[in-house]
This record gives sequence, structure tokens and C-alpha cells, in this order.
Amino acid sequence: MRKQGAEAGTARYAMLIDLDRCNGCGACMVACAVENNVPPPQPSATPRTGLNWLRVFRLNTGGRDAFIPVMCMQCGEETPCQSVCPQKAVELDPATGIVGQIPERCLGCRYCMAACPYQARVFNWRDPQWPAGMEQALNPRVSVRQRGTVEKCNFCHGRWQAALEKAAHEGESGPVRYTPACAEACPAQAIRFGDLNDEEFAAECRGEGVFRLLDSLGTGPKVFYRTSRAEVREATRGFGEVKRG
Amino acid sequence: MVERLDEGWIARGVRRAPFDRFLLWAAPWAALLALGAYAIFLCLRDGLFHTNMDNRYVFGLWIFLDLAVIALGAGAFFTGFLLYVLRKTELRAVINSAVVIGLVCYSGAVLILAVDVGQPLRAWFTFYHPNVHSMLTEVTFCITCYLTVLWIEYVPIFLKNRRLALKPSMLVFEYNLHKVMVVFALIGTLLSFFHQGSLGGLFGVLRGRPFAFREGLLIWPSTFFLFVLSAMAVGPSFLALTTWMAEKVTRRRLVKDEVYQTLGRISGKLLLAYVFFKCLDTLLWINQTAPERGFPAHRFYEYGGAFGTWILFTEIALLGLVPALLLLKPEWRARRGLLIAGAAMACLGVTLNRFVFTIQTLALPTLPFDRLLLYWPSWQEFAAFGFVLAYGMLVYSFSYRYLKLFPQERELAMTEAKR
Amino acid sequence: MFPWVYGFEWHPGYLIFLGVFFTVAVVVAGTVLYALWRSFRAVHRKQEGRIYWHTVFEDLAPEERRCRHAITGELPERCCDREFDCRGCRMHARLLYSDEAGARAAASEQAEVCGISLPLDRYYHRGHTWVREGEDGALLVGLDGLGRRLAGGDGIVELPAPGTELRVNEPAFRLRRNGVEARILSPVDGTVEGPACDGEALIRVRPAAGFHTAHLLRGGEAAAWMRHELDRLQVALAASCGAATLADGGGAAPDLGRSLAPREFDTACGLVFLDV
Repeated sequence: MRKQGAEAGTARYAMLIDLDRCNGCGACMVACAVENNVPPPQPSATPRTGLNWLRVFRLNTGGRDAFIPVMCMQCGEETPCQSVCPQKAVELDPATGIVGQIPERCLGCRYCMAACPYQARVFNWRDPQWPAGMEQALNPRVSVRQRGTVEKCNFCHGRWQAALEKAAHEGESGPVRYTPACAEACPAQAIRFGDLNDEEFAAECRGEGVFRLLDSLGTGPKVFYRTSRAEVREATRGFGEVKRG
Repeated sequence: MVERLDEGWIARGVRRAPFDRFLLWAAPWAALLALGAYAIFLCLRDGLFHTNMDNRYVFGLWIFLDLAVIALGAGAFFTGFLLYVLRKTELRAVINSAVVIGLVCYSGAVLILAVDVGQPLRAWFTFYHPNVHSMLTEVTFCITCYLTVLWIEYVPIFLKNRRLALKPSMLVFEYNLHKVMVVFALIGTLLSFFHQGSLGGLFGVLRGRPFAFREGLLIWPSTFFLFVLSAMAVGPSFLALTTWMAEKVTRRRLVKDEVYQTLGRISGKLLLAYVFFKCLDTLLWINQTAPERGFPAHRFYEYGGAFGTWILFTEIALLGLVPALLLLKPEWRARRGLLIAGAAMACLGVTLNRFVFTIQTLALPTLPFDRLLLYWPSWQEFAAFGFVLAYGMLVYSFSYRYLKLFPQERELAMTEAKR
Repeated sequence: MFPWVYGFEWHPGYLIFLGVFFTVAVVVAGTVLYALWRSFRAVHRKQEGRIYWHTVFEDLAPEERRCRHAITGELPERCCDREFDCRGCRMHARLLYSDEAGARAAASEQAEVCGISLPLDRYYHRGHTWVREGEDGALLVGLDGLGRRLAGGDGIVELPAPGTELRVNEPAFRLRRNGVEARILSPVDGTVEGPACDGEALIRVRPAAGFHTAHLLRGGEAAAWMRHELDRLQVALAASCGAATLADGGGAAPDLGRSLAPREFDTACGLVFLDV
């Protein structure tokens, strides 16, 4: 059921990640790279210079391990990266709620990377190179980026475009449904993707044990996490956040 | 014969080293320039992986030094404002030097920026599709305009070279440019006010970085005003420091003592005002701004080591209040050694302030499960900065040798000879 | 950036920002063009000479700009603020009348300062030229004793072509010697008639509107001024090369171009002919 007041045809795509299911396998990271034409790391790459749109962190819970995938939160309120880009290479699409990065316009000043509190943006420190033959496996729906540009998760915008075209072809209207690569690949089905304008999904995102990272900054992130384990919640709590309940 | 190769280009009445000795002085700087050029070439050819910057340290040595040299080069606009608008005529003795230093600082900074961005050929995008909400847009526009103004201000100094001035048209153009210099001084002041401030605003508006984020007035965070004030405070100090260094290297007196006193006094007053407002701002940040965003300020300093509380104390007290007092008290300021020490400490303090806002901001993690990471620049980054340093030394040396950087030099040489 | 470019926004922030930028750009470009236009106009109106002298005077040290009446001791220490053009100076006018009688009385004498002869039948200009009235109403202009010692036997003094307009304190002659070039200033307003036949004179000048002498030195004043100039020269050469050139009681060498090293000769020319 659509949320009351939501503009017709618009969506507010969001993710709900169940940390109790995530086992840190990293399949989501691999699927993301394959889907979005992220080149394999070169010999000089390090975890700090690698192109990981999606990073899975291990949480220090003091007990059983827990993992948390972190990607672009698609901040909906005063998007930090959008206001700082000097070239308007970052655009919050009102039709989808996705914060898009325009690689052809990016100057590579990296100011947006400094602005992002989730450190979700990565930079092409060198030209992408694919081993011979691998370039034939590139996804034609996603642009390949040059060196010197910033990139980040865009909730598999290429898949949204494909879904949009399919819906138009089939004569359907309204916001489309699609599944990003990470959600599709997760073997534990820890990642769920939906539309906050859908009342059912929105209610789940407000449910018991659901939280957002760095809520206190007020950026309006659209990636929600759920856990029933107190120690996991503790490890993800911001410095000055007040415990709820 | 080599020693006299360029005699016709050197002004009358002043002594300069023989040409071969000048080449000997320039040679190491030229070597550093060549090394830096190679490092820059590598980065432009292959990409920025030649640096040690990464996805956490998106700004490194280059941006930190850019901010620092732009703050130090503020002497150009501020001296121009003091001379042409407030009519402090004793500063006529150093205005040419100030313009050259400003030119060197700003053109060096722009050069490094051209290497630092991933796609330098797209630099015109900022102008063609500007995002006026971004502080960086404002910085880009203002710095480009101001660099143009600095080049225009350099032209009359250049045209007054003895050989060039023989052509009447050159002298006439220099004279007429000089007549309208007050326009450029005012424009320069306006532009500098905004870009110095916006460089502070760059970090003050980062809502995602509670270490750097500050409240402010309308769209401008407090760092906007603090950066302008600190730049104005340190500009005269850097000018005094470079003049003193020039006197030491050339072993002659270039300006009268009253010039040092004026520069020191102005710098001291502004530095004291800056320290006062910085303390207020820091207290507000510690007690309100940071905690409100979920980050108690003490957590920023619990990593110790390079980023402990010592850095805050050093920046504000040791390299802020102490040089302000050294420069303000007339008895201390009258002693050249103390004046220069105060000026040097002020320059270091503002440099440390720029370091804190660039490097320390990025070092501190924001995600609770992330950790503090450290960074050390690669040789290419050092070499590229060396390029700017060498470029500055060569332009300044060339200007000192062939142009009338210090109008009081002749007079002081005559006074010395009389004694 | 422009209204026809994609992404242009018609809201106040955008318009104010771009408005300020374009205003600054226009003001800067406009000011440079204005300076260029004024330069073309000045060249067209042949004002290069006046601008040259103004620029040179600005660069003189305070002791090089001493008022003639401070040199003679009539006034306490004072710097000239009229670029050595005493013709409109109120201070000079007040002192002029008190000195007339003394100046006329000294007219028939010959002075000598450190071996440099200073005939007192003529007026001297602070650029080390002299001028006196010739028989046919034309003015004769030449280099004074110190100037001649710098020009020496082999120095080339380029004379202005006949018909050239001369103006007080603007370059008239050019001395070339030992690779050094110096511009020598005109002491009078007038039109050049041609080279002079009189031994020491260089050119004959037809005065523009009478022979005005308020800005020129004469009589006892000239001697005091020459002593001051020799002092200045000695100090400058000491500053430049560390060697003394005039011992107490001695005289200036007959040909300074031969006895001075090239750099010192260059300094001397600049100092004497006020071509810094």
C-alpha cells in the first residue's frame, strides 16, 4: 500500500539489512563489483585505495562475531555530498531518492569524499584495467569510469533503468520494483530492498531493533540496520548517542 | 665576462652578486624544480596512486600546504589594502615584495591544485556549471580572479626593470597601471576576504565531520571568519619574515626598521583578536556544537600521539598567544630577533591550524567501528611541493635581482656608506 | 554560468554569486583597458617625457630630493615635492625676491668647486646642464663641469633633432659611453634650433614663451649645490664599490669615465644626470 502524501510515480528506495543474518561472506561485495563494472584491484592497491562501493566491517562485540555492510546511505536530508560538489556532479533524484554521481562531470576534487560521514565514496586512483578478456563481461548498462573520478553505490541504478524500460514497454506506470545486485547475491538474504513510500516496508524500517548509523548527524540515511543483539547495537552506536530503552 | 652578463638589466645604485654566483645560487633550486616537475609528470601521466593519499585521506600534503601558503600569501592583499586604502605609506617599502610573494604563493597553490584533482582538464566545469551552494565553487572563482589581479599587479613591477623601462611605452603603461592600482587593491581585498573565508568554510560546513563542523552566521560557519582573521594576522608576519630572510641571504639592509615595526604591530593586534575569537569558538564547539551532533569533543583527542590535546594547546596558546604578545609589546618588538621569532611562530601557528582542519579532520573516524588511520606523504608529494618552493625561490630571486623589489634599498645603501 | 547553459538557476543566490563574479571580471578588465587607453593617449600627446621624469623623481631617495634652499642652508631640512620644478613653488617665490640682489652681484664671478669650474654667467639645472641667453635671443644649453667629466673625450652625447619640442625636466640628450646609457634632462622649455657653435654649448634652443629661470640655480647657490652633488657622488660610489674617490682637498679626476670601473661609472651617471 502506498504511503499517503507520496507523489505519484516517485519512490524513496531504501535498504533494510539484518545484521543477525549477515555472516560476513562478502558475496554482496563481489556481486556489487561485477554488476557495476568495478575493475579488479591492481598490484599497488590497498584496502584504503581499493574501489569498494560496499564494505563489510567486522564488529568488535566482545562475543560472537558480527558484520555490517556499509554503502552509500543515499542521504535524503541536506545530503552532505550534494551541496559541496562544485560542478553539480552529485544529484539527489527526487523520483527515486537515490543520490546519483555523474562520472562525466566529476573533476576529482574529492570534496564529496571528505564530506561523507559514512566514507562511502571511493576514488579512481588510477586508470581501470581489466585482465584480457574480462572486459567482455562488463555490464553494458553501467558506465565505466575514468581515473580521477569519484564513484559510489547508487542502489544499482542500471537495474532501475532496466526495470523502468521494461515497465514502460509493458505499459505499467508507477514506481518500479527491482533488486540491487547485493540484495540478490546475499546467501543469507540479509539485505532487503524496498520503497519507503510503501507503507509495509516503511513500517518494517521503523520496527523493533532497527537503527541507522550516525543518526545524530541528521543526514537522513536510507539504509536501515536491524539487530536483536544488544552488543551489536552497542558496537554500532555513535559516541554520544543516547541509548533507547 | 660571465659575471657581467646581465649588468644592463640590474638597476642603478644597487649592488648585486656577479651573474655566475647568481647561477650558483639558482642551480639547486632549478634541480629541485626539475625533480618536482618529474613527480608532477608522473602523477599527471599515470594517476594519483603515485601519492599516498587514499579513500580516507582524500586531502593530503598538497591541500594542507595549499591552504597554508594561501594564508601566508595573504600579505599581498592586506599590505595593498593598508597602503592604497588606509594610506600607511611606510609599507610602500615592501608592497612590491608582498605582490611577488602573493603571486608565488597563489600561482604555486593553483599549480598544485591542478595536479591534485583527478581530472585537471575538467577545471572549467566549475565555472560553466557552478554549484553556488558549495564553498569550493566560491574558492575556485575567487582564487582564479585574484590570481589574475596579482598578475596585473606584478606587471608594473616587471615593467620597471631598467632595460624594459628604456622603452617609453613600457614606462607610460606602468605609470598608468600604477595610477589605477587602488582599484586592484580594493578588488584584491574583496576577493581575498571571500576566498580566505571560504577556505575556512570548506571545512566548517561539513556536517558529516563533527570535528570540523561549526555554527556560524547565516550560511557562513565561524571558520569562515576565523580563517580570514588568521590570514590577515599572519600575512604581515610572513612578509616581515621573508624580508628578513632576504636581508640575511643578500647581506644588505632592504627596509627601514619602521617597516618591521609596522608589520609586527599590525600582525600582533590581529593575532590577539584571532586568538580571542578562536578561544570563544573552541569553547562553543567543545560545549555545544560537537556534543549536539553526537560527538563529545574529548573523544576526538583520545587517540593521543600526533593528535592529542597538545595540538590544541600549541595552536592557540604556544603559537597564537605567545607570538601575539611578542609582537605587541613595543620593547620586545623593537628587538629584531624577538620580532622575527614572533613572526615565525605566528606563521607556524596558522600553518598548524590549517593542518588540523585538513589532516586531523580526515584522520578521525566518524563511524564508531572505524579506526584512526595515519598518513605519510610519498616522495612524489614532497617533490611536487618542492617544485612550488623552488619556483617561488627562483621567481623571488629573479625579481629581487632585476626588479626594484625594495625601493628603500638605494637609500639605505647610501646611509650605510655615509657611516 | 550563462542563462542558455544547462543547469542555470533563476534564484537569488545563483544570481548574486554570478552577478558579483561578472562585475569583478568587468571591473578588472575595464580598468586594465582604461590604463591601456590612457597610455595610448599619453604617447599620442607626447607625454612620455613628463611621465619618465615623474617616475624617476618618485624613485629618488629623500637626500636626493633635497630642496635647493635646504642645500644652501636658507631653510631647515626639506624635500622637494614639486619634482624640482620651482616655477610654481610658493616657498621658492617667497625666498626668490630676497635673493635677487645677491644673485645679480655674483653674476660676474667664476666659482670653482673641487676642481670643477662653475662659471656664474649662466644658470644651472639640477640635471647638470647649464643654460644662458645667446646673442640672437636663442638659449644655449650645455653640460656643466661634472657632466663633461662624465662624458669625457670619447662619450657620445646624442643631441635632439632640430625642431624637437623640449620641456623642463624631460629627457633631451642621451649619453652613451662604455656600454652605459644615460638620459640627460632639458633645463628649458623651447624648440631646438640646432647644434651650437659656441665651444661648451651643445644646442641652441628657441624659448617657448620667454626665458623663465625660477627653477634654475645661479650664483652662490650653484656652488653650494655642486658641493652637495660631489658629496652625493662620493657617498654613492663608496656604497657601490667601497673606495673613496675624492680625498679631502683634492679635485675630481678630469675624466671620470676612465678612472671609474664600469659599474661605478654607471652609478655615477645615474646619480649625476638623475636617471635612476
